[in-house]
Amino acid sequence: MPSRWFGAVLIAGLLASSVAMADCTSPASFTQHYADGWGIDQRNTRYQPRSMITAANARRLSLKWTYALSDMTPRSYPLVTEDTIVIGDSDHGLVALDRDTGCERWVYKHDGDISSAVLFAQVKGEAILLFADRFKGIYAINAARGETIWHAVVDDETLPQYSGTPKIVDGKVFVPVASMEVTLAINPFYGCCTSSGGMAAFDLATGKKLWYRPTIEEEAVQTGSHFWLVEEYGPSGAPVWATPSYDSARGWLFFGTGQNYTHPTTDTSDAVFAVDADTGEVVWIRQYTANDAYTAACNLSTAHPNCADPMGPDVDFGAPTVLVTTADGRDLVLAGQKSAEVHAMDRVTGDPVWTTRLGRGGIIGGIHWGLAVNESLGLVYVPISDKAVMGFPSPGEPAPGLYALEIATGQQRWQFARGSRCPDLECEYGLSGAITAANDIVVAGTMDGYLEIFAAETGRQLWSFDAWLEFEAVNGKKAEGGAFDAHGPMLADDLLLVTSGYRYVGAQRGGNALLVFQLEDADE
Amino acid sequence: MNEPKPSGCFLASRWCRLFATAIDAVLVPGLTLFLVMLTGVVEHAEDFVDRWWVFHVLLLGIASYLLLNGYLLWHRGQTLGKALLGIAVVRAPAYLTGLPDGTFETVPVAFWKLLCIRALFFPLLFVGIVPYFTILPLLDQLFIFGRQRRCLHDWISGTLVVRVS
Repeated sequence: MPSRWFGAVLIAGLLASSVAMADCTSPASFTQHYADGWGIDQRNTRYQPRSMITAANARRLSLKWTYALSDMTPRSYPLVTEDTIVIGDSDHGLVALDRDTGCERWVYKHDGDISSAVLFAQVKGEAILLFADRFKGIYAINAARGETIWHAVVDDETLPQYSGTPKIVDGKVFVPVASMEVTLAINPFYGCCTSSGGMAAFDLATGKKLWYRPTIEEEAVQTGSHFWLVEEYGPSGAPVWATPSYDSARGWLFFGTGQNYTHPTTDTSDAVFAVDADTGEVVWIRQYTANDAYTAACNLSTAHPNCADPMGPDVDFGAPTVLVTTADGRDLVLAGQKSAEVHAMDRVTGDPVWTTRLGRGGIIGGIHWGLAVNESLGLVYVPISDKAVMGFPSPGEPAPGLYALEIATGQQRWQFARGSRCPDLECEYGLSGAITAANDIVVAGTMDGYLEIFAAETGRQLWSFDAWLEFEAVNGKKAEGGAFDAHGPMLADDLLLVTSGYRYVGAQRGGNALLVFQLEDADE
Repeated sequence: MNEPKPSGCFLASRWCRLFATAIDAVLVPGLTLFLVMLTGVVEHAEDFVDRWWVFHVLLLGIASYLLLNGYLLWHRGQTLGKALLGIAVVRAPAYLTGLPDGTFETVPVAFWKLLCIRALFFPLLFVGIVPYFTILPLLDQLFIFGRQRRCLHDWISGTLVVRVS
């Protein structure tokens, strides 16, 4: 009898291990992918048409598995295929996980800081993956073999920062360019600042640069000095932090810019650009906040020699622009600003259509990472952070929460307000990270660690998950949950994926959990 | 065999040594920052394209230390802070086991030891350049609470700090 039991257990074990082995030793498939980069589509709507999660079944979501990332501030947005999830894991590299079990299919070692969404493309029949390292540039690798195909940098700027996700369109890679000078300015002996933000285009097959469009055309010149010897320069700044949106009918790219770093200020900062995707030529520019000059030095003291005088409110367009069409057929560009304002512009002329303010704004929003849209409902969803940072002056009453506005008019349809779980700074309860929409739901994560699903039409809360937990991860480590921020949730079929933990800003709680939720009984 | 000779020298007090270190910890980085500003090694975007700026600042820090303290260390076993507080570094007798007040000879310390061993423990070196090792200067300083008031770097370099005024 015992030997029969032993045999049964042995066979079951062998079967189980063979299944697990099969999951992770079979090559990753890339025939299906659920998003065209950060914006889910080329227009950056962050609307996932291939999700099975709805208002009716959202309550049946449960945690399927957790993967422990190597960084307490994960900052990559996953690529999901039919059987694999690929995500950047800081200096660990690019990790391909089995979609069902979370086991590692392969790891592309990378010493750096993968900070973007992972993109997929086909070049001459070869599947490639593309990502941005925040400081080292853009990498294209072979999806099957994990070999680097090309690595590109923007050599037009001295200290470019690749914080935004590139966009792949018709054999080109469009790369948003910010600058490290915004933080280097903390050093009082640094002669701030000479850089411009910009948008660059590269050939997808070769990584060869096609064009570069700086947001400030004029060369920075010396404007003064401090400490007798340290030279000051301007104009500078107007970085591009986020992935562009693409209008395929017109062949235009749209993107927002940040503030100037120094005086004199330019009419291209805190602005929205429309440029020709073939040439990089500017079609139109719409500035929303003039004379906004600011660096991280201002966080230390407004008397810091590298803090612009007068100092601006630092109200970048950090979130990507979104292209929408109203029910009556009007093409608009939507842009969320850190001032807590959402702007709608005519897509052809750049003329303002409406502006709606939803909070007090601040140096991390207002609107920080991104909007989402449900065009069939005619609504744009707006996460408001309104977080106070490091004692920095934030005049006005904060109004953090999730809002829905009508795309055509900017009228507010609903608002969801939440309470704080504790009085500490890490319990700031606003929404800084990007959000995602699908079917009749909106998914959002809060800075105090709640992942929530709302009814898209009414704002009624349908589901909530408190991620301030420790998780047993499938890779044998402990994973900690923390603040939800940055790129936000991804939806694919019956899955909801999100990274938890983010401690760049203020006192937010770090964490290293990649959480994968699944609908129970998805077929019901 | 050397006999201990009364010399009238006494161990520097712990407070005295702390103040001397504090003075050095202000003067050396102060001069370093001035040199950083003068040379402009971290003034331009080009300086940050690679990590060489760290090495440049380190070199300027060493230069500042030598400019301020080199002559005094060479001739009197003193840094500027120690000179202002009237204390100096001397060689510890080999047979020293207990409290040495007034019972030892003040022998100058080899210059290389002052630079290559003692100066390596200069706290700001670790705070500024090797931040992960900030525990080392802390540990070094805690040894001062021993009976012979010798920091870890004193033990390693075989030195004492005495009053000389």
